[in-house]
Amino acid sequence: MAPEMSDVELAKSSKVLMVGAGGIGCELLKTLVLSGFEDIEMIDLDTIDVSNLNRQFLFRKRHVGMSKAKVARETVLKFRPDARIVAHHGNVKDSSFDVDFVRTFDVVLNGLDNLEARKHVNRLCLAAEVPLIESGTTGYLGQVTAHVRGRTACFECNPKPVPKSHPICTLRDTPDKPIHCVVYAADLLFPRLFSADPNAKSDLDEEDAVELSAFTRSPGESPESFAVRVYDYVFRTKIERLLAKEEMWADEKRKKPTPLPAFTELVPEGPTAAAHGTDGLNGDGNNSNNTMTSTACKALGLRDAHAAWTDADAARVFVSSFARIVARDESDGNHGTDKFDKDDALAVEFVAATAALRSANYGIERKSLFDAKGMAGNIVHAVATTNAIVGGLIVIEALKVLRQRKAGGDAGGVATPVPCAPCPYRYTFVKQHKSNSRLLEPMEPDPPNKSCVVCGAARVELVCDVESMTLGRLIDEVLKKKLGMNAPEVNAPETILYEQDDGLDDDEIEQYAKNCKSTLANLPAGGVRHNTALRVSDFTQKFEFDLIVTHRPGDEWDDEEDPDGYVLRGDSVSAESNENNAANGENNEENGAVAEDVDDCLIVDDEDEIKAATATAGTKRKRDDDDDDNDGGGRGDAKEIRIE
Amino acid sequence: MSSLAKTRLQTERKGWRKDHPHGFVAKPRTARDGSVDLLNWDCKIPGKAGTLWEKGLYPIRLEFTEDYPSKPPKVSFPAGFFHPNVYPSGKVCLSILNEDKGWKPSITVKQILVGVQELLDNPNNADAAQEAAYKLFKKSGAEYAKRVRIEAAKYTEAPAGFVAGGGATGAEDDVIVL
Ligand SMILES: [Zn+2]
Repeated sequence: MAPEMSDVELAKSSKVLMVGAGGIGCELLKTLVLSGFEDIEMIDLDTIDVSNLNRQFLFRKRHVGMSKAKVARETVLKFRPDARIVAHHGNVKDSSFDVDFVRTFDVVLNGLDNLEARKHVNRLCLAAEVPLIESGTTGYLGQVTAHVRGRTACFECNPKPVPKSHPICTLRDTPDKPIHCVVYAADLLFPRLFSADPNAKSDLDEEDAVELSAFTRSPGESPESFAVRVYDYVFRTKIERLLAKEEMWADEKRKKPTPLPAFTELVPEGPTAAAHGTDGLNGDGNNSNNTMTSTACKALGLRDAHAAWTDADAARVFVSSFARIVARDESDGNHGTDKFDKDDALAVEFVAATAALRSANYGIERKSLFDAKGMAGNIVHAVATTNAIVGGLIVIEALKVLRQRKAGGDAGGVATPVPCAPCPYRYTFVKQHKSNSRLLEPMEPDPPNKSCVVCGAARVELVCDVESMTLGRLIDEVLKKKLGMNAPEVNAPETILYEQDDGLDDDEIEQYAKNCKSTLANLPAGGVRHNTALRVSDFTQKFEFDLIVTHRPGDEWDDEEDPDGYVLRGDSVSAESNENNAANGENNEENGAVAEDVDDCLIVDDEDEIKAATATAGTKRKRDDDDDDNDGGGRGDAKEIRIE
Repeated sequence: MSSLAKTRLQTERKGWRKDHPHGFVAKPRTARDGSVDLLNWDCKIPGKAGTLWEKGLYPIRLEFTEDYPSKPPKVSFPAGFFHPNVYPSGKVCLSILNEDKGWKPSITVKQILVGVQELLDNPNNADAAQEAAYKLFKKSGAEYAKRVRIEAAKYTEAPAGFVAGGGATGAEDDVIVL
């Protein structure tokens, strides 16, 4: 091995791809160029918004509306004019950013804000065998993780915690947390009252609610009278009825609710005065609707958004915001307001008031308007410092990955650390409260999850013309004849393309017969095209792998070289070995070494099976567990599936 | 590449085809373009023999999201289905379908459907989801039984009908609510 390079030399000689030029991206790009990186491409779909400017410091007010990636590049070039930065204003999921594109980089750095794009980049990196440094921040919390195929878990090896949704029974009948009250208000009561859809059937429509028409405005009823009627039903009648179901409260852990006082008891000035506040009153409710132009809080003089309201004030805001929403919907031509929107001030007031009153029912801590808005809208305020720390950590992990990669030689594959050497990579968590007097917690990376559906399966690449290859030919010639499969089934990412007849309904058999006659490009759910990953399985052979389709147009085929009009090859470690499709079955040492570190159990198992299948191409075979070692047990060739 | 949810649902489909309890139907919908809608399954659950629900074949819809299997599917009968633990919209209230209680990502489609079959004859009034069935169940066993038989009769069809899609009862059309 050559004498060790300095970090700066390493940075200088590496080419990196940044995905995302937002909060983390700005910090990351700055730290990259100041650490010596010179060859950087970045992709971001977004344009600059005024609300970004407080922390995305590469942008100024004059840049609002422009591409984040392009402006970030220009700003950085001002202090590092020698850097070679390419900015793409586009979506990383576009087909132009395919596996071949990703393969041209030494490492990919993610600073993305949504799960879908992060999963997509994970898969691109796995297919291209380029290491990925993944990151994220939420307020004070952040994390940076390194993902190197075969060495650490991929981004999807372990399920991501998803925000909990709240079961309807808890929300409707037995809330015990402030969030339950907020979600009840925003997701159940709000759409039930204000949605214009006459067919909406809500889980609030129990027998008694239907009998009382509890949620339907009577003809001629003023908005505030309707609001008071709903108040009395939701916070009094319904609670009393729930209390009467004694089975529900048999469990002592369930705290019994208390009905609120009647509206007129709680609010002595009465509904009309409460609804209008200082907005002025003139005679009957309907005519004065058009004067209800401000928010309920303004009209009622409740100026502090951080204060918790009294029951009486909450009841006033409930009726007032309710009446204002009804009045607004009426003047809009009764289209209704189908969904809660955190930017709709009246909707936020209604939700905050409902949540406060419900908290009073159930003895739950009461939240302010500001907090209720944040909870209902899922708002977490970004913290610039967290982004800066995370940006720095990404560069630290990137340098480690690059050093390993260089040490692995120029084969281009994922570098192999010395066997048994401690893994140099870390998952680092940025915390809000210190533990062990630390705010940064580095951890050993997780190992690959053998049953991960994303990185755990074997991969085979099929090069063909998707405009002429039919599914039927793929099944008969490629899967059955070439790969010796017995009863193959084929799934596309979004749909099932082919299953064995056994136990199918007639309509399904008919559909699959139709699919077989179709070209790959014309199959349902968008067709099978360049870079589509099919999942092929054979239950009778306990055999499953990913078949990645690479499109090569018909006129690019040479009949003599490839008389079949298609080529099958292993998703091999290096681009170079793909050059030579006339496979000879020999394995070069570098690739062998590379595969050594790959988690052997699942991958080798499956790939051995592929080889075994190849060995008996053209004949159906019965698999038994013993023929695993028919290639002399050398794992070296596991990554090199060569199929003639 | 396929999402985790869809990959898992493809596996569920395979598992179901390989082995499923007698009389049950579970099938992802087919869209007009011939693609399979893996996130929406139409299923049928037979009432258990020897119970008030026997002879009926009850349509159930499973709606999965991209967060499956971290999150359970939404499981619903037709809107207005008579049962103490079925919400007015038809949604089923069952602990194994509740993220805070019994849901685990390892629960299969088969276990869900068997669980719902079990629930039919074992209502739980401590978690009542609708007033009508709750009240009747509490008031009188005989009246409740009579009302359940009426409900079951709505979903009784000739055995030949339930293999292909053609044998749908009128009630099935009501499934699409929410
Ligand atoms: Zn994985």
